[in-house]
Amino acid sequence: MASTGQPAPSLKRPDPPATREGDKLIITPLGAGNEVGRSCVHMSYKGKTILFDCGIHPAYSGMAALPYFDEIDPSTIDVLLVTHFHLDHAASLPYFLEKTTFKGRVFMTHATKAIYKLLLSDYVKVSKVSVEDMLYDEQDILRSMDKIEVIDFHQTLEVNGIRFWCYTAGHVLGAAMFMVDIAGVRVLYTGDYSREEDRHLRAAELPQFSPDICIIESTYGVQLHQPRHIREKRFTDVIHSTLSQGGRVLIPAFALGRAQELLLILDEYWSNHPELHNIPIYYASPLAKRCMAVYQTYINAMNERIRNQFANSNPFDFKHISPLKSIENFDDVGPSVVMASPSGLQSGLSRQLFDKWCSDKKNACVIPGYVVEGTLAKSIINEPKEVTLMNGLTAPLNMQVHYISFSAHADYAQTSTFLKELMPPNIILVHGEANEMGRLKQKLISLFADGNTKIITPKNAQSVEMYYNSDKMAKIIGRLAEKVPEAGEAVSGLLVKKGFTYQIMAPDDLHVFSQLSTANVIQRISIPYSGAFGVIKHRLKQIFESVESSNDEESGVPTLCVHNCATVKQESDKHISVHWTADPISDMVADSTVALVLNISREMPRVFVESEGEVNEEEKERKAEKICRALLASLFGDVTAGENGRLVISVDGQMARLNRLTGDVESENEGLRERVRTAFRRIQSAVKPIPSCS
Amino acid sequence: MGTSVQVKPLSGVYNENPLSYVVSIDGFNFLVDCGWNDHFDPSILEPLSRVASSIDAVLLSYPDTLHLGALPYAVKQLGLSAPIYSTEPVHRLGLLTMYDQYLSRKQVSEFDLFSLDDIDSAFQGVTRLTYSQNYHLPEKGEGIVIAPHVAGHLLGGTVWRITKDGEDVIYAVDFNHRKERHLNGTLLESFVRPAVLITDAYNALNNQPSRRQRDQEFLDVILKTLRAEGNVLLPVDTAGRVLELLLILEQYWAQNHLTYPIFFLNYVASSTIDYVKSFLEWMSDTIAKSFEHTRDNAFLLKHITLLINKSDLEKVPDSPKIVLASMASLEAGSSHDIFVEWAADAKNLVLFTERGQFGTLARMLQADPPPKAVKVTMSKRVPLVGDELAAYEEEQNRIKKEEALKASLVKEEESKASHGSDDIMGDAMVVDASSTRTLSDVVGRHSGAYRDIFIDGFVLPSSSIAPMFPFYENSSEWDDFGETINPDDYIIKEEDMDQGAMQVGDLDGKLDEGSASLILDTTPSKVIYNELTVLVHGSAEATEHLKQHCLKNVCPHVYAPQIEETIDVTSDLCAYKVQLSEKLMSNVLFKKLGDYEVAWIDAEVGKSESGTLSLLPLSKPAPPHKTVFVGDIKLADLKQFLSSKGVQVEFGGGALRCGEYTTIRKVGDSTQKGGGAGIQQIILEGPLIEEYYKIRDHLYSQFYSV
Repeated sequence: MASTGQPAPSLKRPDPPATREGDKLIITPLGAGNEVGRSCVHMSYKGKTILFDCGIHPAYSGMAALPYFDEIDPSTIDVLLVTHFHLDHAASLPYFLEKTTFKGRVFMTHATKAIYKLLLSDYVKVSKVSVEDMLYDEQDILRSMDKIEVIDFHQTLEVNGIRFWCYTAGHVLGAAMFMVDIAGVRVLYTGDYSREEDRHLRAAELPQFSPDICIIESTYGVQLHQPRHIREKRFTDVIHSTLSQGGRVLIPAFALGRAQELLLILDEYWSNHPELHNIPIYYASPLAKRCMAVYQTYINAMNERIRNQFANSNPFDFKHISPLKSIENFDDVGPSVVMASPSGLQSGLSRQLFDKWCSDKKNACVIPGYVVEGTLAKSIINEPKEVTLMNGLTAPLNMQVHYISFSAHADYAQTSTFLKELMPPNIILVHGEANEMGRLKQKLISLFADGNTKIITPKNAQSVEMYYNSDKMAKIIGRLAEKVPEAGEAVSGLLVKKGFTYQIMAPDDLHVFSQLSTANVIQRISIPYSGAFGVIKHRLKQIFESVESSNDEESGVPTLCVHNCATVKQESDKHISVHWTADPISDMVADSTVALVLNISREMPRVFVESEGEVNEEEKERKAEKICRALLASLFGDVTAGENGRLVISVDGQMARLNRLTGDVESENEGLRERVRTAFRRIQSAVKPIPSCS
Repeated sequence: MGTSVQVKPLSGVYNENPLSYVVSIDGFNFLVDCGWNDHFDPSILEPLSRVASSIDAVLLSYPDTLHLGALPYAVKQLGLSAPIYSTEPVHRLGLLTMYDQYLSRKQVSEFDLFSLDDIDSAFQGVTRLTYSQNYHLPEKGEGIVIAPHVAGHLLGGTVWRITKDGEDVIYAVDFNHRKERHLNGTLLESFVRPAVLITDAYNALNNQPSRRQRDQEFLDVILKTLRAEGNVLLPVDTAGRVLELLLILEQYWAQNHLTYPIFFLNYVASSTIDYVKSFLEWMSDTIAKSFEHTRDNAFLLKHITLLINKSDLEKVPDSPKIVLASMASLEAGSSHDIFVEWAADAKNLVLFTERGQFGTLARMLQADPPPKAVKVTMSKRVPLVGDELAAYEEEQNRIKKEEALKASLVKEEESKASHGSDDIMGDAMVVDASSTRTLSDVVGRHSGAYRDIFIDGFVLPSSSIAPMFPFYENSSEWDDFGETINPDDYIIKEEDMDQGAMQVGDLDGKLDEGSASLILDTTPSKVIYNELTVLVHGSAEATEHLKQHCLKNVCPHVYAPQIEETIDVTSDLCAYKVQLSEKLMSNVLFKKLGDYEVAWIDAEVGKSESGTLSLLPLSKPAPPHKTVFVGDIKLADLKQFLSSKGVQVEFGGGALRCGEYTTIRKVGDSTQKGGGAGIQQIILEGPLIEEYYKIRDHLYSQFYSV
């Protein structure tokens, strides 16, 4: 018949967990560390885990293309944020969602989600890997669509106490930079970004708040882009002159993203040059055609220019560009411009055309963007004499090769101004080829020469650890806060934590300020008892300090109030009842009352009146002191009585003086003082187990 | 302690006037909404004109006239120069709504309250935000964060949350908690305990049938009319609720392969739909999902023809058709003209989908019982040239007198008509020359002169720059009606009108936003539980009703201020911040309860050098405190739990009987404290048997005690 095993809260002093694990912020690139491709950055802080991006490496296939997922436990990830739809940022998402234990939430922007599905379905179709090497199939993509949630630019969301929102990143339609805020520590992940406004996209925004850590791309390292209008002029000039000499122009470009920008340029150029109207521009991408609806819809993610044009007609309704389905449908009779994917000339239509045209010096190949290491496009930039065709034969490379970058990645000028404006204390470089990244790092170090900025270039699976000592602030609200206390006063109440916010309140206010509620449990137990009521009172008085007798207001039956917590009521001649409101002490009082009553009715009184009768206070006091001193001595050894009734405890030459009445301890040694104080408190609660109820 | 909050309505309290309120937070004045009604009467903007210059920021919540109509005028004439904040759709559709208003007026009158340029310049500087974007106000508003949240009702519709020092002021009017075809319902429920809630009582007295039922009724009425060879006129707003109607019709037409033509007619119809197509981010999940999967934009509208000019409608062959035309109030725009043309034919139907603005033609028709005849003011703009101009000037004085006389005569006639005597029943269209509500006096006086011109058979050149003045369609036109309609027809027509008008009562609620009282009724009170509620916008009766309801059930402080009455709703919530020292926190053991973690702390207050308070561990033993049981016990759940533990349980007499003798009761769940959940009282009773203690242990295990 023991009461429930709840220890009195005032006695509860668990050992302090000395670890400061929670304040360590760890960032680990699982991909894109000192490389371009398979972007994936893992971050954890205070038990919250975030994964940025989930891409594949375009130069590898099958499992080898994945980021190093085996370094982490996918089930611990709370949120996965995808910056944009490019394969190296989003293409391992179906695998991660469907084939791993990941059970968190995934977010991307509206436009990214719409294109993601089309792009990946296409990727699955065209990638020519064997079935067992397939990371996922069409069905996996469709299933992943249901799990992906959307976020709009600037919209602030909160998941498990992680707050995050995104900014426009330029680069491609729907591209976002994510800012994550965990307990006041902010991390900005730029993904791919561009600070330059182009024909249809806005430039990347400068976040309103400076982040504590900035994870930034370094694709172009210390290179500088030519001004946009010069690049555009070179581009159109090359094309125009090639065409006027009767040549053909091949533009290997990724189906989505920069291609739309190039088409806008070409369409406008053709409109302004009627002499070119008889020369066809082909755009060989059924995928891009399918994505056109997305481009036509999410104009609000684009810049003012496009939105103003939109008021008149849809700028993505091209007048001079016709789609091309495959090489079979291509009537190669004279000058033409063909834009085809893939951008790296690995295979597909762009390679077929390249093989066909590469030996004619009238023709030209314009490479319009960043090309990944290890692809044919990368090697022809250096204009080798010969190239190997798809069929294995070698052919002379006579066609002109032009490299005019339109890829919307930040160059050094943009990166440095962006970082200068933000002034993040920590910069982590990702998404850059090792040499470029190294050069950028050196240049940034000299840029931030004042020394307070750390620049880190982790390799894949190499963790960066940082410590944040965040002050925990709590808000005291409601009745507890009616007056602001002075230093030294005590505050007691419920500490309620939600996410990373703390509130302290009175228990009665709990339902007001949170969705929790409190309850009182009132208990009433009836016991058969036919003896005299007075006997119970007598017996109770022998055990409990305070037993008040009165009469019940309603029924007038005699009642006893035991220790201010339990009420014994004589319900009838045959039984009595015990009422109390449950809490550990009251339960104890009530239970012992019940036990006592039972023993009376069995006429086996076990409690005897102490022989001395009324024990005087002084006697009690002395006894308590004796016990206390004995117990202290058993703990600390040397305990002597000092002046003013203090006890002097000496341990290894250290002295502590304990005031037995107030519990104050004086000592030079902090550790000893704490120990003595704790020990004394425990002894007190052992000597006087039932604190008087207020 | 709390942040000072004051609310001062400028219009739209205890009636259905446009919405416009000033909310001051620590001296920073927000103008929340800036509405006007379809009468464009500058006098109701009087209160705004007195405060316009002291406004620091303007927040717009919906793209319709009632919420932003006065913006161009206020910016141009009243010196309103504060930055304006709205969502992208509210900005764009609001702009189009104002264009449509202007063009509709300009077509028929010398409308000079604001021009297209004024509209443009008013909307130019609008800062556009997305839902849940926390926007930190600059400079004077330092420390104030505003965030728009989904409100439903209209595309881009906003519930504004204004936060300062962790205290929220929520402005939520006209929201809809139900998901619709193109919009998600509001997420108002997600706000926990705002300090102040400003909401409306507009629909407090209406009850709404389910969406399915309401849509079906809507379609049934339309189809019935179409099959009876009648035309259907839906007077709608420019770019608000009409989007939902278009989708309902489009979907139904597609499913049932109907061929009756549908026209969406207003001056900005095609740009509206173009823009709406690009606002998918703001629409319901269903629409977004279908676009992601099929790339079919829901607003491609294959069955609906967009018209921007009423003359295009006249080219359409005369067969049964549906026309959705603006304005919803029938006060102006194409709906006004079409109504006049069609009203006399018994086969036709006017179907109102929302309650008309107070004092407009639409509202008159919606009366119960519907009026047998209504006065309609027809006005047109024609140029006055050459001799006529001269004649006009000559005759000006004479006409003035004549007109005054005539006006009084006509008025007399009207009053008879409205009394409904049988022989005047034929006055389907009574031309009221004296009704100059929307027009200046000068305009009224000239109408006599104009009449001659009209009779001369003058043709209206649409692009004339000559001086113009409005024309009241005169009695000759009306005579036509009188002659062509035979009385029998007319009676049927009245019934038809009657039917149309009867629909109003239902459809208003049905197609309009969810009622506020419903939200307050159905959601657990603690969700909306807040210290202070301010009620605005709604008829006096509705406001009073909701006020009583709130007082009884939701919270103890409900205010319904009068116009220009400033009420101080500063929350009496006390709060201060303390720092939790590492030493204290290392000793705290949290218990997890859903999203929350709870612990009891006893601490001592210390002051750091910077003067902030911090909590340190107590130096002396902690005083004992009463144990708190945290948790929400549902008897039904408890029953399940107990039976899973092998205890026989059943409900009986309001209590849970456990085993043979023990009972558990729950009392006082909602205590007097404004319906807040309060403290639950659970009573456990039983005789002294072992089972009692077992059950007690099980009960305790359902709580966290700290």
